[in-house]
Parts: sequence; structure tokens; C-alpha cells
Amino acid sequence: MKIAIVVYPGSNCDRDVLRILNNVLNVEAKLIWHTDKNIGEFDGIILPGGFSYGDYLRAGVIAAYSPIMEEIKNMAREEKPVLGICNGFQILVEAGLLPGALLRNIGLKFICKWVGVKVENSDTIFTRHMKKDDVQYMPIAHNEGRYFIDEDNLKELKRHNQIVFRYTSPNKGELEDYNPNGSVEGIAGVCNDKGNVMGLMPHPERASEKLLSPYGDNSGINIFSSIISSIGE
Amino acid sequence: MTMFLVDITIENKPTIRDPEGEVIEKDLMVRNGYQQIRGVRTAKLLKLKLEAKNETAAKEIAAKMCDDLRIYNPLVSMCSISVRVSD
Amino acid sequence: MERVKELGLNLTEEEVAALRASLGRDPNDLELAMVDSEWSEHCSYKSSKQTLKLLPTEGKHVVLGPGHDAGVLDVGDNWVIAAHIESHNHPSAIDPYGGSATGVGGVLRDILCIGTRPIALLDLLRFGPITQSQHSKWLFRNVVRGISDYGNCVGVPTVGGEVEFDESFERNCLVDVVSVGLGKRSDIILAEAKYPGDAIVLVGGLTGRDGMHGSSFASATLNENSDMDRSAVQIPDPFTKKLIIEATLEALKTGHVRGLKDLGGGGLSCGLSEIADRGKKGIDVDLSKIPLREHNMDPLEVMISESQERMLFVIEQGWEKEVCSIFDKYRLRNALIGRATENTDLEIRKDGVTLAEIPSAVLANAPLISRKSKKPNYIDSLAKITALKQPSDYLAMLKSILALPNISSKRWVYEQYDHEVGIRTVTKPGQAGASVLRLPNGKFLALRADGNSRHSFLDPYQGSAGAMAEASRNVIAVGAKPIGMLDHIQFGDPGNPEVFWSFEQSVKGIADYSRSLEIPCIGGKVSFYNEDKFTNKAIKPSPVITVIGLIDQQKDLMGPKFCGESNVILVVGMTRSEMGGSEYYEEIHRITGGQTPKVDFEYEKRLHKSVLAAIKLGYIKSIDDCSKGGLAVTLAEMCIQSELGATVNLDQVPTDCIRLDEILFSESHGRFIIEAEQNRCEKLKLLFKENNVPCEDIGFVNNSGLIIKSNGKEIINVKVDEVRAEWSLSISRLMGES
Repeated sequence: MKIAIVVYPGSNCDRDVLRILNNVLNVEAKLIWHTDKNIGEFDGIILPGGFSYGDYLRAGVIAAYSPIMEEIKNMAREEKPVLGICNGFQILVEAGLLPGALLRNIGLKFICKWVGVKVENSDTIFTRHMKKDDVQYMPIAHNEGRYFIDEDNLKELKRHNQIVFRYTSPNKGELEDYNPNGSVEGIAGVCNDKGNVMGLMPHPERASEKLLSPYGDNSGINIFSSIISSIGE
Repeated sequence: MTMFLVDITIENKPTIRDPEGEVIEKDLMVRNGYQQIRGVRTAKLLKLKLEAKNETAAKEIAAKMCDDLRIYNPLVSMCSISVRVSD
Repeated sequence: MERVKELGLNLTEEEVAALRASLGRDPNDLELAMVDSEWSEHCSYKSSKQTLKLLPTEGKHVVLGPGHDAGVLDVGDNWVIAAHIESHNHPSAIDPYGGSATGVGGVLRDILCIGTRPIALLDLLRFGPITQSQHSKWLFRNVVRGISDYGNCVGVPTVGGEVEFDESFERNCLVDVVSVGLGKRSDIILAEAKYPGDAIVLVGGLTGRDGMHGSSFASATLNENSDMDRSAVQIPDPFTKKLIIEATLEALKTGHVRGLKDLGGGGLSCGLSEIADRGKKGIDVDLSKIPLREHNMDPLEVMISESQERMLFVIEQGWEKEVCSIFDKYRLRNALIGRATENTDLEIRKDGVTLAEIPSAVLANAPLISRKSKKPNYIDSLAKITALKQPSDYLAMLKSILALPNISSKRWVYEQYDHEVGIRTVTKPGQAGASVLRLPNGKFLALRADGNSRHSFLDPYQGSAGAMAEASRNVIAVGAKPIGMLDHIQFGDPGNPEVFWSFEQSVKGIADYSRSLEIPCIGGKVSFYNEDKFTNKAIKPSPVITVIGLIDQQKDLMGPKFCGESNVILVVGMTRSEMGGSEYYEEIHRITGGQTPKVDFEYEKRLHKSVLAAIKLGYIKSIDDCSKGGLAVTLAEMCIQSELGATVNLDQVPTDCIRLDEILFSESHGRFIIEAEQNRCEKLKLLFKENNVPCEDIGFVNNSGLIIKSNGKEIINVKVDEVRAEWSLSISRLMGES
């Protein structure tokens, strides 16, 4: 099994994702430069976080036109898992592989903090190791993380069960609604209608080792292990 | 008093670099086939509705406000103002 | 000298004479401009070099000391840490966003050019009071935004820092950035061109007229408007920097890069002369090969331009194409501009004509200046203070102090910084006194920077030694042993004997602490001229010391969070009546004066040794150091971190103070608050006794709130949530948010 991690000019979190896959989960993963089109051999692909092209014009828009996007679209068509984290989510949205848009945070400032991430749909290949309403704790770090979608398309999203994660309180035990960036209905992650392409703003790779979590848990790893087990079948 | 639409465009002074414009030109436009593009500068546009006696007054008010309130940083940017009557 | 004045340069008569003597002839305009730039205070340290020699620079972990682009420490298993500090005070005062952002860019370059990957940043900021000044709020807001946008974009986490507010910084804010890099010892590369024939390749941004302060020499090519444009404005370009970081690290892996230098102050002139001087060879450069942003640039302008994001690579002859293909991959402009030569001159040519020829050694070694020093009168006169009234409501007083910007939570700042990227940040900002990063060999790196301009103003020697003591204390409090430090010394005009006296005292204080505690200096910076032309007011002396520490094992990692109800709370160290420069005096009573806290070097040695020993033996459950705001604030902070409370009796605190407010708010050095399980308490006290370090138990952890007693009475009894609110929201509220 081999997983590709795309590196764009300006990607920052590629090596972090690589570390989790290679060293923590012992799965073969490789960094692929964005001009490389030979990715047919990979079983899944991850678009990591960062500031591709400096986030110029709009986060993710320039990377969405990168040579590798055609191949990523092919993989999506072949129903291979495609995961976009933070900037990766923004790129998938700009490329039309996921619905909606990611706007500037409502507080107009970059926010870096740990938040609760509640599982809304545990049936996707990204969440099969989780239960509905489970709360994982992961950090967000973004300037343009406010998920936006118009009313009609929001209805469609709900109809096809495409809302995968919602934000929830960073304080364990608190169940109230919590929205760090003004996203519609606190949406933190969505998938496509086939369920093989998903994007989320929080960073699971930063929450995959107990040492690094202020909560002492590593629940972020479940997204990666879910992908791996679904490929394995 | 008449209602005017005032456009305030704030951009970096011409001799000052605009890295965002450079990347948009090179990595998005030219790279994706638009070879005709010869330069891109980014700017911020504020669209105001302003009540004033006449066009000259409207322009003066806008210009003074831009200076007083540091709407643009004169060290780095310049601002151009255009005025038209609101319909 | 007339020519010097006509060109708008700053060389003194003595310097011109020295230059003429070295060259054996009159220098031409280009040569004068190059030397002027290279011999400026900023590049040459001519006023401070002599004094800085006092700082000890050797130690068990030191691989590279001061004098290189970054200092390097060995952290075991062939891994090294590079560290450097930069400041961008003047640019940030006029363009806070661009100035601070490019400051981050500058320090990252230094770390990169020693061959390591930048893995962390610390920002150390000083502004006028945001409680009163809109101007300072504007500076604060935009400096933080600048650092945030730049650091986040390049993907280097800002893991910690400090912010200090004082009137003296109103017109002269201070913006310091520290960066730390990680690499293999075998990858360290120096800024040198040692092998004749090696290619000198310029990579990165175009060379333009940035950074030229309207000097008249270029008047022939200036038009009316360009004078204003040609200011100190520097446009941040973190995207290019990110590409440079990745391209450089990839290029270094080829093994064919033999020298590396970033271009910053002094531009090509400075960069080229340094690599030539260090390699003890010469360099031959053809100006026509340098990619320019603007037309008709004078050779002078090209040589001293400070355009951002440029690096000089020294590439082994024959490997130019292979290495440059990496730059092409990252779409970075690259140009072969010259080669290293057999001789020892820096030769600048254009279209076949030699424009300047200076021995590299001359350029790189400015004659040092001896400055006069005189103790200022205010120092002794401010030492006397008349008695104050004690507060009637200690809870109200504690709340006021917790809300002071110098003490309250800096959440408003660090939540704008991506502090997690790189997945190395174990101790996050706000969680402890020092930042802790994990290293690839299972060890941990601790980082902390401290400065206290109020203490340093009243007593430059004690204030500076104290800054280092405080930073060391914070590093110890996370379980780390200090292994090296960076100093940054910031003063006004060194030509003013009183300023120079303070500078000398400051360096002496740091040197004495450094020597006693065996924490070597691996690098640093001196920035002078931080004063306001209009009022001639200088900033308060602001030495800032960054201490780097190493933790061998995860189990030694400590924090300030109370762990268990009914655990014992102990105080280590003496609380003395040393209120000068304290937040209590300065902010609450508006007094500048009194005795500043003194550092006892021998005691500090015993203190470090015993605390680290106690941690290794597993006696300590949590620990925090006492500094700004004193014991009261430390206790409050430990409660806030944990949501448990504390019941303490001030009668038990080791002290010579008679006044209650002094016991609570004195900022004496060498103190910690420790939490220990009841069955370890006696062993702990014995360990400290054996090391002649005062230690007493003063109370226990509870589940109800912060309760402080004295003389049989409760003087404070408050729920933790109540003090948390004051502490955590203060700065956000001042900045107009919540």
C-alpha cells in the first residue's frame, strides 16, 4: 500500500503527515512534487496544510490549477481516497472536488488553538474507526477557515450526508455549540457525494501523538487509520 | 446635497514590489496559457456612498479622510479616488 | 572627507584615513560606499566588540560561537541546534507590519545559511503602554500581524516570546526575533569561499533600490518622487522565503555547496566581503550578471542594496548546473555572478572594467572605536524611596496586577501564531515558562527569552544579570539544563557616555552570570541608537537574554500545573525587600525607583543544581518560577493552569520583608514555587538544605480556590475562575476584542 502526499510550492505540513504515516502507522508514504504526474501507482492521496503559493489571490486557487490536479481528479473518479487538510481542503474546494467555499475567519485574525471536532458521519472511509458524536481534539491554524455554502447546496449536503465533522467545545464534557471561525453550522469538514474525497480544516496529523496533545490523546490518528483500513480491503 | 459613489483604490507605490501580483501573474495566469499578461498589481478597493454638495467636495472629503485616518499608509501605498453621482 | 559628505556617507575622518592607509591609495566612490556600509555600526559592531569580549563563549555543547551567522550547540547523536537573534526596531516603528515581518525573514535566513532547517521562532516585543496610547496599540496590533503572516506562511512555528510595555518604548518600539534551527552536525556550512574557481551564485529576489535611505550619491539617477519611495520600506515576501528554505536544504544535500551567506544589512558588499575574508581568498564579481529590478542602477546601488530574499551560494566548480537545477525547480531566480580567486581581494567589475578592488580583510574588519563612559546621576538619586501605604484590599490589588499587560495572559498574541506546525511543540505557548520542542533523538529543547527594562534602567548590571537569571530559571522550571544563550543588547546612542556606561554595566552583568553559571554565549546582537530624535529620549536599557536548555528524558519534563489536591506547596529562595522596577511599584504606585532585585551568583549555581536534582529524583510534581508580580502572581498562575486552588500561609515564606505587600509582590530572583507529594516533602526540603538553598512548605493544593493567609487572617480568598478571567481577557479587552 502506498499513499502520496502532494507538495506544492509553499506547502508546510507535508513532512508532518509523512511522519505520521511512515513512522507512527508504518505505512509507505511518499512526498510528490506538484509537477509530477505519475501518481497512478498510489492507493490514496493527501493534500497537506500550508500556504501554497503564499495563499495569494485566494487560498488554494493557484494550486488548484497545478499540473497534478488532473491526476488527483482521476484518482477521485477511481474512488480512491483523497484527503485535504487545511490548505488541502481549500485546494479541493477551489478545484471543484468538494462543495462550498472557505472564507476569511469571522474574527479577521489567524487562529491557532485546539478545538473539539465532533463526528457527524461515521460511515465514510475517513471515519469508519469512529462513532457518530465522538469528539476528537485537534488544533486548527488558519486565516481562511470559515466554511460557507448557500442554503440550497447546504440542503444537498445534508441530504447526502456529506457533513463529516463539526466544531465543538475544546473543554471536555462541554457539549455546547462552538464556532471558532464563523463556519456555517459549525462545519469543520465535508466529503463529496461518493464519500471518497474529504476535506477538513483541523489538523489530524498534529493530534496523532499523545506527547503533543494537551489532552494527552492521539485521536487524530483515526482518520489516517480509517483510510488505511479501507484501502486494505 | 447629492449622493456620490466614491471608489478608493489603495495599491503599493509603483516602485515598491508586489509579491502577490508577481505570483498571480506568473503561477496562475501565464502558466495556464494567458501569455498576453504583462503585469499584475494587486489593490484594495473601498466603495463608499458619500453625501456632498458637488463632485469636487466629495473628492476633497474622501482625500482628507484617507490622509487623516491612515486609510492608506503613505510610506508604502498610494490611493486614487474616483467619484460619480449615485443613481 | 568632502567626497564622503557629498555621497551622504557616515565614515569618520579616522576611518577614511585607516582605509587610505590599508589601500595605499585614495578609495574611489564605489569603494567608499562599500566600506561605509560594511563599517557601519550595524555590520561591524565597532563600538561594542571590545566590550562584548567579556562574554564567555566556550562550553561543552558549543560547536560554533559568536561571529558566525548563527551559534550552534551540540544536542547529542550528531544533532545540532543553531540559534540567532535579530531585531528590526527602526523599520517596525514606522511600518510595523512590514518591519516585523521582514525581521522574521532576516533571522530565518541566518539559521538557514548555517545549514540547518529553521524549526522555531520566538518574538520579543516592547511597546509603549497600550492602556493609554492609541499609537502603541496600532504598533502592537500590526507587529503581531506581521510576525503572524510571515511566520505562518513560511511554516516555522512561533512557539513563545515575551511582550513588555513601558513609556520609554512609545516612539521606539523594539522588535526582536529569535530563530532556532535543527540539523546534523555534519551539515553545518560556513559563509566562506575557500576554493579558487568555485562559483558564486546569487539566488532569490531581484536586486533593487530597497533600503537606500535617500543618500545623495545616487542623486544623478533619482527623480523627484523616488526620494520618498526610497525609504526604509521593506516588502515581506514569505512565499519566496519558504521556497528559499526548501531549495537551500535540498541544495545542501547534494554535498556540492561549499559556502553559504544570506544577504541582509550591507547587501552584496557585506555578504561578498565576509565570504572572501572567512575563506581567506578573493572574489571576482561581474555586476552585469546581477539580475536587477530597476533600470540604470548605479554600481554603488547594486552593491549596497538591501533587497530582500537573496542568498549567496558558493558552489563547487563543475557542479553549478546540477545545484542550480534545484533552484529552477523551486522557480527561484539564480545567476552566476562571479568566482572565488587565488588572491585576497574583492574585485567588482562591470563589462570588463574594474570598478573596485579592496582586500577582503580590510572590508570585513572595521577599526574599533573606543567610547567614553560615565555613570548617570539618576542611578543613585532614584535609589531612595519614601514609605508607601499598604493596600487595604489585597484581592483587588491581586486582580489589578493580574490584569496588567506585562503580566496578563498573552493569548491574544500567540493565538495568531501557528505554534504547532512541524509537530515538535510539546509545551505550547501559555502552558509553561519556557517552550519545549522535541528533538529527533528523544531529547527535548527548552527555549526562553527574558528582559526587564525597568530593572535594567534602575541598575543596568543587576537588571541584565537578572534577565539572564530569569530566563535560566524558566528553562530550569521545565526540567531543562541551560546549555547556551543569545544576548541582545539594546540601548540609545553609544556616543553618549551615560548610555555607554549602562551598556558596559549590562554586558558585565550578563558576562558574570554567564561565567558563574557556565552558560556560554553563542551569539547575539547589539543595537544602538534606539532613541527619539525629537525628544532625545532613549529607551530604557533592554538587554534580552535567550536561554537554550536540554532535557534528556521525557520523564524530566515539568510544568506549572498543580496536579493533586492536598499536595504540599513549597517556596524555594528568599523573598527580599527589593521593589525597585517591580510591576507593583511602576504600574500600581507609579514609582520609578528603589532597590532592584539583586542576583547572587553563587546561590544561583546551588539553586540550579538542586532544582534539577530534585526533578530528576522525581520529587517535584509541578514547578513555576517567581518573577513579575512576585509570589502572588506565581501562585495565581499555577492555580489558573490547573483549575485547582491553593491554601498558603505567608508567615512560612522565607523572607526578610516586614510588609505584606512586599512579600506578595517583590520580584526577588532565585525563587520557585514547587508542588510535591506529602511523602516526598521531607526529602525535598533536605535536598535544598544540603545545598544551602532556603525552602519552606507554605501550604497545600486545594479544590476550592486561592486562599492566602497571614498572621492568622485570610487576606485573599477567591475562586480560581474569578482570577482567571482578569488574567486571561485583559489584553484582548484592551485591543477592543474579547
